[in-house]
Amino acid sequence: MLALIILFLTALVTLFVGFAKKPLLTLSLSVLGLLGTAAALICQWYHPSDFLSSYEGVNMDGFAILFSLVAIIFTILIIFSGFEQFKSRLDHTADYIGLLIFSLFGAIVMVSFQDMFMFFLGLEILSIPIYVMAGARKDDPLSSESSLKYFITGAFATGILLFGIAWLYGATGTFKIYEIQQFFMEAEQISSLAYVGLLFILSAFLFKIGAAPFHFWSPDVYDGAPAPVTGFMAAVVKLGAFGAFIKLFTIAFSELYDFWMPALTFLAILTMFVGNLSAIRQVRFKRLLAYSSIAHVGYSLITMVVLTNNSALNLWYYLFSYGFATIALITVQMIVNDREDRIEAFKGLGRANPFVGFVAVVALLALAGVPPLMGFFGKFLIFADAISQNPALIAVALLNSGIGIFYYLRTVIVILQKPGVDNEIEQSEFKTTPLQLIVLGICVLAMLFGGGLLMVH
Amino acid sequence: MELLLIPFVFALVAMIIPQKAVRGYALIGALVSVVVGVVHAVNYVPSAEYFSIVEACTTMMGGKLPFFMKYGYDGIGLTMVLLTNVIVFLILLSNYDNQSIAASKKFVALVFFMQFALLGVFLSLDGLLFYIFWELSLIPVFLIFLWFGAKGKRRALMKFFIYTFIGSLAMLFSLIYIRSYAPSFAIEDLVAAQLTTVSALWVFGGFFIAFAVKIPLFPFHTWQPETYTKSPMAGTMLLGALMLKMALFGMIRWMIPLAPEALHCMTEVIVILGGIGVIYAAIIAIKQNDMKTLFAYASISHVGLIAAGIIVLSLDALTGAMVQIVNHSFVAVGLFLAADIIDRRLGHRNLLELGGIAQQAPKFAFWFAVIIFAGVSVPLTSGFIGEFLLIKGIYGYNWMYGVLIGTTLILACVYSFRAYQLSMFGPSKGFEFPDLTWAEWLSFFIVAIVVVFLGVYPQFLIDMVEPGLQKLIEIVNVK
Repeated sequence: MLALIILFLTALVTLFVGFAKKPLLTLSLSVLGLLGTAAALICQWYHPSDFLSSYEGVNMDGFAILFSLVAIIFTILIIFSGFEQFKSRLDHTADYIGLLIFSLFGAIVMVSFQDMFMFFLGLEILSIPIYVMAGARKDDPLSSESSLKYFITGAFATGILLFGIAWLYGATGTFKIYEIQQFFMEAEQISSLAYVGLLFILSAFLFKIGAAPFHFWSPDVYDGAPAPVTGFMAAVVKLGAFGAFIKLFTIAFSELYDFWMPALTFLAILTMFVGNLSAIRQVRFKRLLAYSSIAHVGYSLITMVVLTNNSALNLWYYLFSYGFATIALITVQMIVNDREDRIEAFKGLGRANPFVGFVAVVALLALAGVPPLMGFFGKFLIFADAISQNPALIAVALLNSGIGIFYYLRTVIVILQKPGVDNEIEQSEFKTTPLQLIVLGICVLAMLFGGGLLMVH
Repeated sequence: MELLLIPFVFALVAMIIPQKAVRGYALIGALVSVVVGVVHAVNYVPSAEYFSIVEACTTMMGGKLPFFMKYGYDGIGLTMVLLTNVIVFLILLSNYDNQSIAASKKFVALVFFMQFALLGVFLSLDGLLFYIFWELSLIPVFLIFLWFGAKGKRRALMKFFIYTFIGSLAMLFSLIYIRSYAPSFAIEDLVAAQLTTVSALWVFGGFFIAFAVKIPLFPFHTWQPETYTKSPMAGTMLLGALMLKMALFGMIRWMIPLAPEALHCMTEVIVILGGIGVIYAAIIAIKQNDMKTLFAYASISHVGLIAAGIIVLSLDALTGAMVQIVNHSFVAVGLFLAADIIDRRLGHRNLLELGGIAQQAPKFAFWFAVIIFAGVSVPLTSGFIGEFLLIKGIYGYNWMYGVLIGTTLILACVYSFRAYQLSMFGPSKGFEFPDLTWAEWLSFFIVAIVVVFLGVYPQFLIDMVEPGLQKLIEIVNVK
């Protein structure tokens, strides 16, 4: 709880400091607050009993701490890399950062919830700032479209989720996830209310993580939203939603595994194919990222399909590796800063700015899963864990990685190419800020040496 | 360990040395590796153990990684290591006069990095480590190809990378699948794993796809001629002389001992595919007019024979395969160098427009002839020893296949001598053709020396690889 309180205060303070119109002050205060939150979480890890770690509805267990820490790291990286964009609208800097932190607050609630009520609150706190942020570029119709689209579909999904929770309550008579688990274990006959509720909740989740066939919003929203927000959605929102997803389904619905597993298997396969095949034809970079993120959701779903003792950790590691690569790419996208966001605008990046080009290539290869980068180990852990239970699923997943290499490689080639003479595309200047370079540095170190993290794993 | 580290360090240092020193630095770096390799070979004592020299860094890492940092070699591995080091030296030497490439820091660093990855493949005794190095070797070749390749390479590049990457993914599948039957990725554990026939087929199939793409065997070969033609000469040499040897080595070290249960269904398939490749590629080669494409098809033809020989698993054929692996590497370097010398001097490689070079460049003509002879397995060259043993082994498996595959000896003469005759003899087509420079001459000389030496006295190579091969046959028989 202490961590949550600090985080909440940080967000509030950030908003108020905004009146001073000093972007750097806002930035440093908010980052300080985030680091404080992280410190509180780490203390909790070592002394679970001292820090108000448990409160009715919220429990900061090891699982929640791991997920929260990663979410905080990602948020800091995104604030750094997007600072230039936030700053360019002087009167709004604090609003952007404050909203990001509120959203992060929601994500942390979502991974530490104990009952469905808290879970719902967390989801809403996570989503509402994003609805606002997606429309942050007010003069750009695409951004407004993105915001509206996300809001309407998101609100709809929330409604379905709430409806599902109500059905579940009707069947079990409780909101607490451990009591629900208890109920399913002891019940002689499970009423069909519970199954209906589970299906509703499942679809709401699939919507939030952007799995097929509930993925249609994500390319448009990713494309239209300002780049830092896209990065935040890909890295942090996904982390929170997946954390809540695996928690709910491994605890509350563990007894109904046989019921939801086949559906999820099918959807995992569908998601992988939809993401990878659609990504092949993309010409805009953020849309490419959106489809690639759908494909990655497919791989991550495998951890849910094949539940073992390591599932949660594997999922965590996977999202960790995925987040670094995505944030690096989003930062690179901001550096290229092409108005129409074409992949072709990356041409010559490798020559004009070798370091940025190198990071971009590493990130793309990490997403493709080329060893020995972190992305490879993420995939490897998931696949190795699942293969004895379901070899055919892993064969399909590997086939999909093979499809995936096509569009990642195409982008890599564009980046490494000489700047063309004939192209009508005017060359971007590839301006970087020191903060962005720091972000890229951290990401590339993580991607190159993140495999070593397995030693702790 | 130092075998692996030296190229890696040289690759890193190559980024920061002054521009003028690059070419000399490259040669010295490669030479150091050769010397270290030779020292290892001299100290090597063949033994009956599976791996005579094993170094493990497991304790250093606390044993918590999902794989072991475990290296080691037996005679087979050591041969490949030595081969890699010598060939890398030859590649750098033969490019010495090609200013645009040899004086580029990027190029030198990439070649050393490639050497590092290749040595890793040949030395690693852990499945996952093997896979990581295997994939790592793709990156430098990809970059060499991208930065120094010919025009219109993009399509070929994508094709090559996607083909091999999908192949490797199939191998990854096999590795993690067999891992679920074994306590760790260490090769002893994987070999000891008990598979059912069906699961052995899965494992074998995954490895087979990966290796068949890289070798390349007949239906998987379509990436190869285009890639060889469009890539710069050094890239072609790396691909033809070393990278496809990774796959042949992988068959011996990983595919066969890990899933021998599947052999009884697969042997015939692979022999037939290899045989088709041998004849089909040779016939295509006869009609080619671009010298490099011609040699690319010739390469498919030769390696098909090696793959077929490995899979029949007789000691003769396996020994022949090892000799032929070495021979083919050197011959490939020689042939592609010859093609590149012509390309560099004249700007094209079209056989129909060549002719009469022998009058202007007698030294070149002589050494080219030596290499061509080794390529068509004239006695006293190592090609003869290798192909003779291979065909003997296949003949022992099934005489019909032996006879059919034996036609390679005739077909190879046809395409090789056609290429030689059209380019070297006949009236001069009226162009200047300067003779060899010292670096080119030295490259040819080393290739020729090795080829002839192995042709006259192959015994030391055979002694080196035989215990390992016997062990392989033993493992298969036990299972």
